[in-house]
Amino acid sequence: MSISKKQKRKRLEDVIGAIYSIAIYTILYVPVFVMMIFSFNNQRYNYYWNGFTTQWYSKLFTNSAVIGSLWYSLVIAVLATVISVAIGTIGALGLKKYEFRGKKFVNNMLYIPIIVPEIVMAVALLIIFMKIGLALGMGTILIGHCTFCIPYAVVTIKGRISGDGYSLEEASMDLGANRIQTFINVTLPSIMPGVMSAAFLSFTLSIDDVVMSNMLAGAKNSTLPVLILSMNKSGITPDVNALTTIMILVIVIAMVLNNIIKYALKKRNKAEATI
Amino acid sequence: MKKVISILLTMVLIMGLFTGCTGTKAGSTVDSSNAAPSTELNIYMWQQYISDDLIAKFEEENKVKVNLSYMSDNADAITKLTAGGGQEYDLIMTCDAYMESLVKGGYVEKINFENIPNASNINESYWTAKEYCVPYLMNYIYIIYNKDTSPVEIKSYNDLINPALKGQIASIDGARNLFPIALVALGYDPNSTNESEIAEAYEWLVKYNQNVVAYGNAEQNLTNGTASVAFTYDGNASWAMSELGEKNNLVIADFEKDPVQLGFDLYVVPKGAKHVDLAEKFLNYITDPKVMAANLVEYPYSCPNDAAVEAASDTYKNDPARDFDYKKNVFFQKDVGEAITIYNDYYQKLKVGE
Repeated sequence: MSISKKQKRKRLEDVIGAIYSIAIYTILYVPVFVMMIFSFNNQRYNYYWNGFTTQWYSKLFTNSAVIGSLWYSLVIAVLATVISVAIGTIGALGLKKYEFRGKKFVNNMLYIPIIVPEIVMAVALLIIFMKIGLALGMGTILIGHCTFCIPYAVVTIKGRISGDGYSLEEASMDLGANRIQTFINVTLPSIMPGVMSAAFLSFTLSIDDVVMSNMLAGAKNSTLPVLILSMNKSGITPDVNALTTIMILVIVIAMVLNNIIKYALKKRNKAEATI
Repeated sequence: MKKVISILLTMVLIMGLFTGCTGTKAGSTVDSSNAAPSTELNIYMWQQYISDDLIAKFEEENKVKVNLSYMSDNADAITKLTAGGGQEYDLIMTCDAYMESLVKGGYVEKINFENIPNASNINESYWTAKEYCVPYLMNYIYIIYNKDTSPVEIKSYNDLINPALKGQIASIDGARNLFPIALVALGYDPNSTNESEIAEAYEWLVKYNQNVVAYGNAEQNLTNGTASVAFTYDGNASWAMSELGEKNNLVIADFEKDPVQLGFDLYVVPKGAKHVDLAEKFLNYITDPKVMAANLVEYPYSCPNDAAVEAASDTYKNDPARDFDYKKNVFFQKDVGEAITIYNDYYQKLKVGE
């Protein structure tokens, strides 16, 4: 019995699909694996492979500069996320719900900080801060990060707000809830997925940022990306590879745990449902 | 209950923001009262360029805190200075090429050399804008090559565009590093402002470009065999040679006529610096021959501090990367004024093609 034409085609499609995904994942992950392998390189700079060592991992925890700037980056990223999401939620609701003169203009202006090259924004902010005499430091970096996180947050959350929400809100207020109760119990849960993705987006943008942080950092601290970039002249030391390897492992473990918990919950729900 | 918590959290957040701002402001007003000696020194410089031990010793001796922050490019320092951010720092590292503009623009303070007696150790013949800066280390930018694998023996810049070297050169990058060697090769002023000369230099660099295998990481590409010729800094050459150790087959190109570029990294005190007293103390410390000699063990770059070179270790003195006899045949990068836009245009053309 010969394989039907349809089956043949299906098989070909599978092969092409597999090749395609292998190619894409190779391009995405080979640099990451190379980076991880070189965190075990027994050499001061990562020029070529010179034998296995774990010394960079122990050095990492004694090198206060790298760890210090990691904490600094994390604190800024968390604060920038909270601020951007709070302002972004209010902005998105206002821009979606209410009609006012110049609304279209305000909507379009949102894209300006997204489109303008970051370095231009950064230098402009630097000049303003210097003119008003604000000392450079965590505060200035935070304001800088918010300028590009807020528009993304507004745009992301706005996309989540749908028309059906309004009738629910009206129903809630009909039943005696005041505006704040309605917001917390009805509106916010309905746009929660948008708020969460805005939060993740803001966090990623902030912790990745190097241009803005480089311009607005003060003399005492700098964020991790800025520190790594400044190592570029003489070569990046393997303790940075070690740190990045640990960060990737943490993310992978978190994702695996997340899936395990989800799976377990689903199983339990199913079991409860059958009883 | 949830509501109360969320309101509380928002309030804490807002208050945190305000206290953050006022905190830094209050700090700066305290600092500006010049009566008491400063206890903090803010330096903006290159990463991996000064010995941590020496900084720690300075902190201990003077009971102060030194905050080092690092730039990724010379332009970072210039942008911060010109935007008015200089007062955040007490010492900023920059290079000789920028000094003229910085002095003209009034971005740097005059240095009181009465408080820096050790500065007399610095060789004056190379010292530009002497009232405003203290030279730290210097870089020759020259050619080294692998005597076993390079197909060409290099005696001048023009040897670099020999087609036999196709895919053999590892090179540093940057308009103001590349164009000067082309201009010298063509017999022009390395700081030319003449457009037709720069255009000719561009044509020369197109040929050079064909021989370049990689920009950046010259010492890496030399030691792992990717390239057999490198246009690089002497400090990086020193690293590559000491990495190869006994097996070192890298030699410095024996130039007969062409000059090499010499650049300085130097410290300036930005306008409005708040801890000038401590900045001067630090400059005097780092120009001390013994201190600088110790620094050279870790960072074996060329040094304009003659007494420090005298006091340096034998390893430093006998470094093959500094063993070349045309050290006096040098040129400096100068401010080319408006012509910088011509350089940038041709440089972009070189990078992206026409």
